[in-house]
Amino acid sequence: MSKVSTLSEAVASIPHGNHVALSGFATARCTMAFAHEVIRQGKKQLTVSQCVGAMDADLLVGAGAVERIVYGGGSRGRSGQHFCIQRAIEQRTLITEEFSSLSMTFRYLAGSLGLPFIPIRSLNGSDILKQLQEKTPPLVGRLEDPFTGESWLVLKPLVPDVSVVQVQVADEEGNAWILGPRWDNEEQSKASNRTIVITEQLVSTEMIQRYPERARIHGFRVSHVVHLPFSAHPSSVYGVYDFDKEHIKTYAEASKTPEGLQEYLNNYVYGVNDHWGYLEKVGGMKVLNKLLADPILGY
Amino acid sequence: MTTDIEYTPFELMAVAGARELKDGEIVGVGLGLPVVATFLAKRTHAPHISILLELGVVDPEPIDVGVDGLSDPRIWYRAKIHTSFADMLGSVLHKGLIDVGFLGALEVDAYGNLNTTLLGDPKGRYRRFTGSGGGNDIASCARRTVVTIRHEARKLNEAVSFITSPGYLRGGDEREKLGLLGAPSRVITDKAIFDFDPQTKRMRLKSIHPNTTLDDVLSNMSFKPVIPDELPVTAPPTAEQIRLIREEIDPERAYAGS
Repeated sequence: MSKVSTLSEAVASIPHGNHVALSGFATARCTMAFAHEVIRQGKKQLTVSQCVGAMDADLLVGAGAVERIVYGGGSRGRSGQHFCIQRAIEQRTLITEEFSSLSMTFRYLAGSLGLPFIPIRSLNGSDILKQLQEKTPPLVGRLEDPFTGESWLVLKPLVPDVSVVQVQVADEEGNAWILGPRWDNEEQSKASNRTIVITEQLVSTEMIQRYPERARIHGFRVSHVVHLPFSAHPSSVYGVYDFDKEHIKTYAEASKTPEGLQEYLNNYVYGVNDHWGYLEKVGGMKVLNKLLADPILGY
Repeated sequence: MTTDIEYTPFELMAVAGARELKDGEIVGVGLGLPVVATFLAKRTHAPHISILLELGVVDPEPIDVGVDGLSDPRIWYRAKIHTSFADMLGSVLHKGLIDVGFLGALEVDAYGNLNTTLLGDPKGRYRRFTGSGGGNDIASCARRTVVTIRHEARKLNEAVSFITSPGYLRGGDEREKLGLLGAPSRVITDKAIFDFDPQTKRMRLKSIHPNTTLDDVLSNMSFKPVIPDELPVTAPPTAEQIRLIREEIDPERAYAGS
């Protein structure tokens, strides 16, 4: 069954207040076109989760679409901090549940396995744990290991309403390849109630069947397949295109102040009708062509 | 070789970091100085170390420098395996298989606790920074952790303002009791190298760098470390180590400024 749909249809399927897991890591495979459409459709009070904060989450927070962020910290790499997220935390306009990369992964993993909780070594002794212990309802607890009697910290599983994953290759059923490192994306998709796949390339199911060992996202978990080129721009998609250093600089500079961010949104999100308009706005094929990856290097 | 060669504080720290790695070890690496230290070790005394990047990259051999972060595909190049957090931080780190974790921080304290979350200013306000990422996980589970940090009074405090990643907490057996694996092993600054007192777990001077005095080291810290009776001078880099850093590992000085 074909699940191919427009970006607008896929975003419209997400109710206000849903928990959305995003596939970005810093400046790689960020769900940027998706974030733009969420902002254009005026989605509100979302919970956003990911292991390491990325550009997609930062933009959504900056645009006021997010009520709560569940993540393990993170930055944009050399191009700096996530200014929108930091500002929202400092101004107390964003509820945070801050973990570490592994504790987030374990929460998704527990969600993916249908487990009620998962023990972990990380976080013990830290102020991250102290902050989490103040949350109600509780996100962490303690249990005695029935085999050794040791006391273990346990985490509540994460079960997002929907996981949005940016991939290189997918078929119309949503079977998808993630090429390059996959960070938390498989666990995110498996933990979630459903998955939206955003793919650079749409291929025949014959192609998926030719290399069954490559599919990391399973079609039966997928509700929508959106086929859009450069849909992670200005972040990178391994093997397809490099990150756009210049545009990331533009965003980094703009996101330092609420006014700058508003101007950025007016220019690149509200000021265009859709993703095609965005691609023209950032320079069109003349700019994008230069970002295409070398097949050996992957960038 | 005792001929005087010129080197920067960054290069000396990278060389000191490289010396902490033994051949065949599994190393968890963050970006910046640890990358230079690890590749230097791999090209000199430790050709069989395994390099892991937390997001799911095993043994990369990058050929392009100017890397923008762990998410820059330039640092994934020629990896042997592309995998996931659950694999790197779970099946390797959480299982106890990482020998050395390299960590940076905004602030480190007398017991090796690290802060990468909040930084206070003199007016008592706090600014938020990156938080943990994999830092807390590495500090909780790696057999040894090596911390590199600039030697400044505001970065070396008696107690950090926020424990993002645990060291020995308040010392003694506090860490052991919590079921954390491994322990902080070294703190490398641009003025000295520290280890930890085996009983109290308080930071202890191990060596001071050439052209630095004990007074200079202590007057740029906000706590007093344990000072051993014998205090050697850190061995300077060799000409070959400096050549490798400048010509092969970081020719554009992309990391040297970090």
